[in-house]
Amino acid sequence: MKILIIEDEIDLQDVIRTFLEKEKFLVEVAKDYNSGLEKVANYDYDCILLDIMLPGGNGMQLLSEMRDLGKDGSVIIVSAKDSVEDKVEGLELGADDYLAKPFHLAELLARVKSVLRRKHQQGVNMLEHKNVRIYPDERRVEVNDMEVQLNRKEYDLLYYFLVRPDKLVQKTSLAEAIWGDNADQADSLDFIYSQVKNLRRKLKENQADIDLQAVYGIGYKLV
Amino acid sequence: MQISLKNYTLRYLVFVFLAIMALWASLFYAYILEEVYDNVDDGLKNQKIEIIREAYRNPEILEIREFGVNQFRIWAADKETFSEKNKLSSQFYYMPYDDEQEPYRVLQTGFYGQDGIPYHLEIRTSTVEEDDLMLDLASALLVLYVVLVLSLYLINEFILRRAWRPFKVILDNLNHYRFGKKEDLKPIQTNVLEFNRLNQDIQQMWQRNEQVFEEQKLFLENASHELQTPLAITINKLELLMEDESLTETQLVQLADAKDSLQRMVNLNKSLLMLSRIENKQYRDTEAIDFNRLIHSLVDDLADFIAFKDINVVWQEKGTFVFTMNKGLAVILLSNLLRNAIRYNHAAEGKIWIEILADSISIQNTGKVDPLPQELIFKRFHKGEQDSSSNGVGLAIVKSIIDSYKDLSITYTFEQEKHIFRVLKSFPKSFPN
Repeated sequence: MKILIIEDEIDLQDVIRTFLEKEKFLVEVAKDYNSGLEKVANYDYDCILLDIMLPGGNGMQLLSEMRDLGKDGSVIIVSAKDSVEDKVEGLELGADDYLAKPFHLAELLARVKSVLRRKHQQGVNMLEHKNVRIYPDERRVEVNDMEVQLNRKEYDLLYYFLVRPDKLVQKTSLAEAIWGDNADQADSLDFIYSQVKNLRRKLKENQADIDLQAVYGIGYKLV
Repeated sequence: MQISLKNYTLRYLVFVFLAIMALWASLFYAYILEEVYDNVDDGLKNQKIEIIREAYRNPEILEIREFGVNQFRIWAADKETFSEKNKLSSQFYYMPYDDEQEPYRVLQTGFYGQDGIPYHLEIRTSTVEEDDLMLDLASALLVLYVVLVLSLYLINEFILRRAWRPFKVILDNLNHYRFGKKEDLKPIQTNVLEFNRLNQDIQQMWQRNEQVFEEQKLFLENASHELQTPLAITINKLELLMEDESLTETQLVQLADAKDSLQRMVNLNKSLLMLSRIENKQYRDTEAIDFNRLIHSLVDDLADFIAFKDINVVWQEKGTFVFTMNKGLAVILLSNLLRNAIRYNHAAEGKIWIEILADSISIQNTGKVDPLPQELIFKRFHKGEQDSSSNGVGLAIVKSIIDSYKDLSITYTFEQEKHIFRVLKSFPKSFPN
């Protein structure tokens, strides 16, 4: 899977590249409008991470140029401007997703995987790990081909873990992904704890081969 | 005691006028009297010459011993007392007409008759009554004084009031001025130089203040904005580092703590950005919003959390609250209030009452049994004690959303151990003309 990062902040570009390479993606980078456009025009990418404010031009422009060229790679807009107008405009221009800076790398990966899945799905959109399967379009979960009833938050948690099995997911990142903006309340961590507990119980009851393991009180890992 | 400027000057002018007029009156009186005596005396001296001439022609008059119709008398003088000098004096004589003593001017002198005998001559003439004159003068002046003061007062009342009208408008404007809302102010129409200058200076001062405020706002916004990227980089680098399998538990925990602190900064930064966006009126699109439905869907979103905290939500829907505003802001407004009601509730078995009327929404919750400080809760960075998890901006955001719609208001009260936030829709009572 080839990913292009168009981002003018070299440090950010670096850290995203390192992270995605560790996740076994092929990553290329561009740091301004022109080099970005050149790469987009000459090569095909499965997913493009596009910053809006670029030296030499605007990411939105680049997006529409790209569509004019008939390139259909998935695009995730990554912007420091967390404004509704930008989001709407980007999505209208054919971006697949919109992610506001700053973001968690885990969140970025979830989004990337989600757009890639949608792009490459043959038949159904599905995420599988061991004997657990998730159908994100229907928010359905199956263990051993048997449907398991999860509440919304439990489903969100499981999805978040399944995107990155065997990796540590911090409690605070979980809280933010599930609880949204006001994740900074102490209450929400207790809440996460109780939801994880319920989810583990349900997984166990349904003989799933996966489990959520607490790591040093920082977070959890799907094993 | 405070007194209006026009009465202030009047108060002093009344006394000053009185003093000036008293001084002027005494000088005028002395001057008039001097002139009168001078005239009368000249007349008397003239009469003396005529009498002496007549005495030479007609010695019969030397026999006139009493003041009669002639108003003079002559008698033979002693050698010792005789003097040809004119001696003028004021004396009182009985006047039958008035039936009282009246002032007379008297000339006493002497002359030698044709026969060479010295004679004493006394001529008198009725003169001005000084006390009457003084009285007349005083009453005339009193009338003048009253007229003056009265006209001053009237001038003050009518003309100065007119002249000061722009000043009143300026005062009114100052009173009604709200930051950044100059369009509501009445224009000043006057050709009084000072008022125009005052108005101009005030306008300029406002402009400068607003400019400074704008700059600070912009600074805050830019600073928050510029912070996003380095924060993103730092957090992401920490995340990368935490992937390292060789890290020990202590290292990992420390990294996680560092990341959490950064995350709090990110959240604070987001809230500040949101505040400045609201204050910059960047949420312009509006639509009629059914708050009943909105609150239901928000409570649904929070349902898991409400259940987790074992909170009982009591609905009292007595009307439909509809208000035209930005959808995003409406969501933030209500969700902040709801989240507060959940966050600051009892650890277990708390209660939330949601009451919706056609013109008000109240969200009441159990919680700490002390009322919150009314004047502080909507201020930025005000935090309750033992509350390190909140950034203290949530209610400030609520307030600035409310403030950006002039028909909305919010109140906080503490009644029967319930914290009550009430959002009110105010209908303008009278239309401004």
